Amino acid sequence: MNPLLSALWARRPQRSLRIVDAHAHSGPYSLFFIPDAGPEGMIKVMDRCGVAHAVLSSHLAIQLDAATGNAATAAAVAHAPDRFTGYLTVNPWQDPLAELGKWGDDPRFGGIKLHPDLHDYPLTGKRYAPVWEFAQRTGCPVLTHTYDGSRYNDLGHVGEVATRHPRVVILAGHSGATPLGFDTAIEVAQRHPGVVLELCGSYNSGADVARMVREVGAGRVVFGSDFPFIDLRMSLGRVLFCDLSDDDRAAVLGGTMTDLLQWRGNAGRSRPGPFAESA
Amino acid sequence: MSSERPVLVDADAMLGRHPRRAVGDGGVTAALLRMDRFGISEALVGHTMSWLHDPATGNRRLLELLAGQPRLSPCWVMLPDTCGEIGTPAAFVDAALASGVRAVRAYPADHGYDLGGADAAPVLDAVTEAGLPLLLDAAQISWPAVEAIATARPRLTIVVGEVGYRTLRQVAGVLARTDNVHLGLANLSSHCGLEWLAGRFGARRLVFGTGAPARDPAEAVTRLLWADLDDGTVAAIGAGNLRNLLCKESRAA
Repeated sequence: MNPLLSALWARRPQRSLRIVDAHAHSGPYSLFFIPDAGPEGMIKVMDRCGVAHAVLSSHLAIQLDAATGNAATAAAVAHAPDRFTGYLTVNPWQDPLAELGKWGDDPRFGGIKLHPDLHDYPLTGKRYAPVWEFAQRTGCPVLTHTYDGSRYNDLGHVGEVATRHPRVVILAGHSGATPLGFDTAIEVAQRHPGVVLELCGSYNSGADVARMVREVGAGRVVFGSDFPFIDLRMSLGRVLFCDLSDDDRAAVLGGTMTDLLQWRGNAGRSRPGPFAESA
Repeated sequence: MSSERPVLVDADAMLGRHPRRAVGDGGVTAALLRMDRFGISEALVGHTMSWLHDPATGNRRLLELLAGQPRLSPCWVMLPDTCGEIGTPAAFVDAALASGVRAVRAYPADHGYDLGGADAAPVLDAVTEAGLPLLLDAAQISWPAVEAIATARPRLTIVVGEVGYRTLRQVAGVLARTDNVHLGLANLSSHCGLEWLAGRFGARRLVFGTGAPARDPAEAVTRLLWADLDDGTVAAIGAGNLRNLLCKESRAA
């Protein structure tokens, strides 16, 4: 039995590898009640399981107010910089240039978060142009929400922006979110080396995770949980139990995302992640 | 924490093919192998034929498949007796008890009837009288309807699974006003929701279940074992609570 499952069955935190959650949020959300949704409650869950780090965007930023919400994200990271890195949320209706200008150089942020479904704006729209320009210039990864069949962030939209911006790392949040979406996400990732599949959602399974790794490689699949939107342990369990080699599981659970976060100071030089070998 | 593995008994598993998921042949062998992989001792299982084809046929098929399978206990699917599909309510529960059926599941949304209405009342009364727990997925019924049924039949045990992460406001109200509504762990996915529910309403209201094979058992297993709950509470949720519910007042016992 691998040490992760040994720790789980013993009901103690795992300590065998560095787990990084590539898709997290923080704070309350109006549509439903979330117990203990703040950074302290999140760290408690991370400590319970042995999750070292999480990359988060505040719910306030994605749901209502990017400016105030990005400040909340920065505050959460400042509160526990060894446990959290921020995603800078860009809302296409709320001055993307200002947000990128204000926070783009702030080391508390390690990626950009887009949520086209919540903002009723397509991933391919012009208002996102500053995001792609920034990501192209710096190597900053971009996490976008995806959902199979969405008019705003279907996998076809991901493929289109990946074609336009082939040097940008695009994390496909939820990998399309449905069984059909997973198939499509794999196809898009196979066509576009910059597309990385992120695993959180309600319809994923360990079999889907293993298939993604077989099809696109562990260097392009990252564990994410969506916590505290969804409990972290749901997605983590799928990766713990699924049929992967130890090396692949370590890459999915944290190795790949750790590399993707090392972009600051690398502009113009060799880039980590999907482009590491070709750069 | 614990030196011994918690015992897990799955209250929410299914045999049979699935038309919208790649979950294999849905056979008994696959179910037992899956249980071994996830450390699950026993399971209460239904059959997709009872859900997505014909309850009477599926219920019979389930008994055939479970003959000689001590780790698997049958869960039948009920219907209202308005069309005579599963016999009279008395005949349905008599056959269930005589066949070792341990619980009854209802799909009012997918089977096109009102579980809280007059049509289903005679069957629900018979199920209540027999001491058989009633299992439901949250998508099959509204929370007000769950509450109305539970309030009208305080001796009926109701277990609602697939609660998701968006409904705690409604769930909490129903749990507060009833004593006989329980929650299954299959897709009980609110952040820290398991701990919050156990602390607020008592761990006895929570029952381990996976939703397999449509849902990955890794979710419920990991959620429970890495819960911020003591070992005794995890043991109760993992197996003890379900065993208590299945033993309670069963006419066959």
